[in-house]
Amino acid sequence: MIDHILKSYDDELARLGDELLRMGELALRQLQAAIVAMEQRDEVAARRVIDADDHIDRLEREISHDVVRLLALRAPIAGDLRQVFATLRVATDIERIGDHAVNLARRSIALPGDAAVQLGAALRPLAELATSNVRAALLAWRERDTGRARQVWEADTRLDEAWAACFRSLLACMMDEPRTITSCTQLLLMAKDIERVGDHASNIAENVGFAVGGATIAIGGGLRDPAGAPA
Amino acid sequence: MIEPTCTSTQPWWLRAVNGTALPSHPKLAVRGLDFHYGDSRVLKNIELDIAQNTVTAIIGPSGCGKSTLLRVFNRIYAIYPGLKASGQVLLDGENILDPGYSLNRLRSKVGMVFQKPVPFPMSIFDNIAYGIGHHERLGKADLADRVEEALRRAALWDEVKDKLKRSALGLSGGQQQRLCIARSIALRPEVLLLDEPTSALDPIATSRIEQLIDELKRDYTILIVTHNMQQAARVSDRTAFLYLGELVEVDATEKIFTQPGRKQTEDYITGRFG
Repeated sequence: MIDHILKSYDDELARLGDELLRMGELALRQLQAAIVAMEQRDEVAARRVIDADDHIDRLEREISHDVVRLLALRAPIAGDLRQVFATLRVATDIERIGDHAVNLARRSIALPGDAAVQLGAALRPLAELATSNVRAALLAWRERDTGRARQVWEADTRLDEAWAACFRSLLACMMDEPRTITSCTQLLLMAKDIERVGDHASNIAENVGFAVGGATIAIGGGLRDPAGAPA
Repeated sequence: MIEPTCTSTQPWWLRAVNGTALPSHPKLAVRGLDFHYGDSRVLKNIELDIAQNTVTAIIGPSGCGKSTLLRVFNRIYAIYPGLKASGQVLLDGENILDPGYSLNRLRSKVGMVFQKPVPFPMSIFDNIAYGIGHHERLGKADLADRVEEALRRAALWDEVKDKLKRSALGLSGGQQQRLCIARSIALRPEVLLLDEPTSALDPIATSRIEQLIDELKRDYTILIVTHNMQQAARVSDRTAFLYLGELVEVDATEKIFTQPGRKQTEDYITGRFG
C-alpha cells in the first residue's frame, strides 16, 4: 500500500497499529502467565496477572480515543475505514482475552485441594490450542495475512472439540466422585474461559480478512458449541 | 463464537460487498463515447448506464474529463468550435448526439446547474419565468403557479415568497444556487446535471442543497460532479471514477467507498494519489 499524500495521516494510522500490537502482546503474555499460574498453583503469579489487567484496559481506552479522533478528523474511507473499524473491534477482542486471563487467575486462586491439580491437566490441550491461536491471530493481523487468518478461523473447530472433550471428562469425574464437584466446577468455568479466548482469536482472524479484503459483516447467528456442552 | 447467518460455506470476511444491479433499460446509456478538444482525446470509449431516479456521482482528479462528460449529456459543448463527441448517449433509447435530436428538446429534458450560481440580473420571479417562456406559452396565473412550484421544490419558496419582485442578485450564495436549481426544474426536465453545485457554498448551504438532491431524485435522474468525496458518499446511489479520460470503475456508492474494485479508485479516494 502506497503512502497517503498527507503524511500525518499515515503517522496516526501507524501509531494506532502499534498500540494494538502492544495491547495484543500484553494480553498474550497475560494469558500465558495465567495458565502457568494455574498449573503451578502459584498465587503470587496469579495476583500479578490480575493487577496487570489495568494496563490492557488503559490501552483499549487509548485505542478507542484514537479511533474516534481518526473518524472525526480524517474521515477514512475504503481500506483505511476497514482498517480503523477492524482495529476497534480487535481491541475489544484483545481486552476480552485479558479479562479471561484475569478470570483464570482468580479461579486458580480459588481452586481447592491437590486433587484439582491432577484434574487441571485436562485443561492443558485446550490452553495450548487457545494460546497458539491467539499468537497466530495477532501475527496474521500484523502481517495482514489472510491465509494465516483463515487457518486460525478453521482451527477454532479443534478448540471446540477440545472443549467438548474436557467438558465430558470433567463431567465423568464429577459423576464418578461427587467430592470433586467443587474443583471440577471451577475447572469447567476455567475451561470455558479458555474456549472463549479461542473465540476471540477467531474474531481477530475474521477482522484480518475484513481489513484486508473487505466484506459485509453478517449479524446474528447462534453460538457454536459442541454437542452436550453449555453455550 | 458467533457464526454468520448466511448459508454460504465462505466465512463472512471472505465474501464481497455486492454492487447494485442496474435495470435492463437505463434512463441514460453511454456507449463508446469519445470526446475531442481539437486533437486531444479527453474521453476514451466511455460505457456507462444511469438508472432512472438515481443520483450518480462522477469523481476524479482535475482534468480527468468528468465535467466534459457532464456537458456531453446536454451537448453544451456544441456552442464551442473544435469540440467533438462521438459514440452514443441514449436518453430513453434515443441518441442525443444525433444532429437530428433538437437542442431545444434536449435542453427541456436535461437541466444543468453550474459550480458558481449565476442568477440573471432580474427579479427572483423573472429568473424562473424567463426560461419557461422560451419553451412554453403559459397564462399569467399558470406561470405564477409554475414559478411557485419550482421554488417550492427547490426548498426556496418560504424564504423568497414575500420578495419575488426583488433582484435575485440580493440573495445569498446558497439561495442563488437553489434559485438556479429552481430555474432548471421549472422546465420539468427528466435529468438534472449538477457540476460541483456546492463548491462555493458554506456547510449549511451545502447541507440544504444535499437535502434537496435527496428529495429531487424522486422525480429526476441526477448526475453530480464533485471533488468532495464525502459529498459523493452522502448523496449518490452510484459513483463513477474517471481518470485520464477513462472510466476506471462505476459501482454502488457503498461498494466504491468501502471496498472499491480497482486499486486506482482506492488510491484516489483515500488520498494516496501521487
